[in-house]
Parts: sequence; structure tokens; C-alpha cells
Amino acid sequence: MRSNNLGFLTESGKPELQPIRFEAYGVGIEIGCNNSLILREIESRLPRIIPKETKHLKAKKFDHLFFIKEIPTDNLFEIYKNSKKIEWWTDKNALLDYLDSQLRVTIAEYAVSRVFIHAGVVSWKGNALVIPGKSYSGKTTLTAELIKRGAIYYSDEYAVIDERGYVHPFPKMLSIRGIIDEFTQVDFKPEDLGGKIGTEPLPVKLVLITEFEKNAVWKPSRLKTGEGIIDILRHTLPTRLKPAFTLRVISKMAKHAVITKSKRGEVGKFAQDLIHYMETVST
Amino acid sequence: MNNFKIPAARSEDLIIQGLGEEVLVYDLKTDKAHCLNQTTAIVWNACDGKNSINKIIESLENQTGGKVSEDLVWLAIDLLNERNLLTEKNPQIFSKSNRREVLKKVGLASVVALPIIASLVAPTAAFAVACSGTVTNCVGCPDGTPCDVDMDTIIGMCLAGACAGD
Repeated sequence: MRSNNLGFLTESGKPELQPIRFEAYGVGIEIGCNNSLILREIESRLPRIIPKETKHLKAKKFDHLFFIKEIPTDNLFEIYKNSKKIEWWTDKNALLDYLDSQLRVTIAEYAVSRVFIHAGVVSWKGNALVIPGKSYSGKTTLTAELIKRGAIYYSDEYAVIDERGYVHPFPKMLSIRGIIDEFTQVDFKPEDLGGKIGTEPLPVKLVLITEFEKNAVWKPSRLKTGEGIIDILRHTLPTRLKPAFTLRVISKMAKHAVITKSKRGEVGKFAQDLIHYMETVST
Repeated sequence: MNNFKIPAARSEDLIIQGLGEEVLVYDLKTDKAHCLNQTTAIVWNACDGKNSINKIIESLENQTGGKVSEDLVWLAIDLLNERNLLTEKNPQIFSKSNRREVLKKVGLASVVALPIIASLVAPTAAFAVACSGTVTNCVGCPDGTPCDVDMDTIIGMCLAGACAGD
């Protein structure tokens, strides 16, 4: 037995599997596995993690190392991150879903020159609308409804903000729940909803802080910039890692934006009111 | 209030970002973000460890153009003290019930906005994505996150990526 560069033992005589290496937003990622079929499956899922249309920055080094160790005798999969076991699964699909989320969060947290906010993003007549929210908060439902009504799709997961405060597209497929059951996500292309994908970075005109509440109606309450930033930081990934940079970028984004709060009820009527608000509100 | 030392604004281990009238402050020691409204920001800036309360009142009046009561300044200082934004931690000036009373009294009489600090513990990356409040899926959430997979009334806790005790 000998150790590979991740510190895992491989059987002597067997060639080591070539790990997957890729970079996104200046973050270098390496994924290894002791099962070549699983490794290929992970590779085929990468477009789900990082959209093909995304423009990447070059990584200086591959400093986030993931390794999947299959233990066939125990019907078990273990996930290691930087040589530390972070999780184990008995179900391969659950393992792959977990790996997807880990990879995305790692890229979003460590991205160079960008701040990732967990948010849905569309543009309407050349102005960006950012809808921060946690998972299951209805971001994708609202984003999909806005696309159906003519908005240009930027993302249903991350608002990627640059140092000027502009939002960039992160156009992964829309992962919509509620079709099979309320947990399983089904992926849709924005084109399936009649939508187009944005390509250019845009200034943010409106940040909408919202959460679903049955029978709620559109009742916008405009926040002061600082107050609004506190709400945005709830969904901002690199705040702890890079607080000064994050605060600077979010402040730039928010400086010329309107930050508004409203509960969201039925999505169709809400989207209609939101578009009207977006067209009439001035910063 | 007699025992309260003349306050000085803390500057160490803080990231400070001006936003017009408001000020954003990030405390590197506690990973908390604070937003000081105009009244609190002016008082905080005037807290240099030398200015008397009267000087701070004067500074607030000059910058807001309104008459300011001493209680309003003490309310702001109490908030700053509570959020560890002064160099030395002092005992709280107002109890919660007392503070409500003073707020009511000052609020009715003052044209200057009441002091407010909105605060937030900065989330970890995993929390920012999926793990605030009660989650319905523990994937990616730290152990201990409240979860409710069955959407019933029993709340469990995330343990190793799964909802335990639900």
C-alpha cells in the first residue's frame, strides 16, 4: 500500500485514477475517487454545478481537494475534503447531490474578485433584480414566473457580484421543486420557459427581500441602504472569510439600488406587481 | 449613569464602511455586522473618550439640526455599549423595560430619529445557502441546525447531513 497526494491509500500495483481538476472563479478544485465509474459520473455532472456559459478566472492552485472513497464491503461512500472526512452516505445519488452542493458552496465562498449571494437574478429592460433567499424560500418559483413574463434569466442560485457592484450571469439550469415531490429538483432550461439567458454584467436596480406567506399580498416597504445590506448579508457566502471585501462590494452594489421587502403570496400576481414596481421605482 | 465612563468608540478589529448617513460595522472578533442609523453613527463618531455628554449632544444637534435630549444620547451610548462598540464595556444603563419607557418619552419629544442598530451574526457559507431557520433538507447544513423533513410539528436537528429526531 502507498499513499497518494491526498493521503489515501491505494492498492499497490494498481494505477491511481486521474483526478478531475477544474477551476471556476479563481478557485481550483480537484476531485479524486477510487472508482472510475463514479469519477466519470461526477465529471458528467459538472455542468450542473458550474454553468458552461460562465466566464472563469484562472486558478493559481488547486487548493480544495475532494476525495470520494467507495467501501464496497460496507456499501458505503465517504467524502473527504482536504483530507478530512466530512460526510458518508450509503446512497450514491445522495452522495453525488451532496458533493454538488459542497463544490458549489466552496466555489461561492472562495471565489476571487467576486461576492456570491444566494439569490435568484433576472434582468428587466436592462436592469437587474436580485432576490436573495435561502433554499426552499421560493426563489426559483419566482424567477421562473418572471422569465415566463419576459425577464432575462441570470441565475436561480447565485448573484455573482463584481468589484464594481455589477451582477454577472450564473445561468445554471433552473432547479424546480414540486413537480415530482416537494424535495426533488427537476432541471429546466430557461428556454423551456420561453426565456433567454443574460450575457452581460448589469448594475442592480432592485433587491427584493421576500419570503412566502400564504395569502400575502404585495406590500413593498423600502429599506435604508445599510438596513438592507444587513438583510443581504444573511445570504452572502464569503462574509466571514473576506469581510472587508464583501462589505465593500455589497455596499457598491446597494448604493444605486432600491432595497425593498415584501411577503410573497400567489406567485403570478406577485410577479405582475413586482414588474410594475421595478418599472416605476426610482433610486 | 454617573458610573459610566466617558465613552470612546472602539476601532480595533472593526471594519467600518460609511454609507451616507448610516455606518456599517463588521466586528472581526465576533463576526457580527451592525448597521448604525444616523443618530447612532453621529454619537459613535463623537465618542472619542474626551468629549463630555454635553459635547456629544452638541455634536448631534449640529449635525441633525434638531434639539436633542440627554436621554436620547444615553440610549445611543447604551446600544453601542451593548454591541461592544465602545472601548470599555460598561454596565447597561437602561433595563429593557426602562429603555422602552425612555424610548417612548424621547420618541414623542424628539425630531431626531431614535437610535437604532440592526445587527446580524454573519452566517457561515453553508448557513447562507440553506441553513437559516428550520430547514427541510440537512444536506450541507452544520450539525445542530433545526430541521423538519416531514413538515410536521416535531422539529429535529441536522446530524451528519440527515434530520435526526424529526
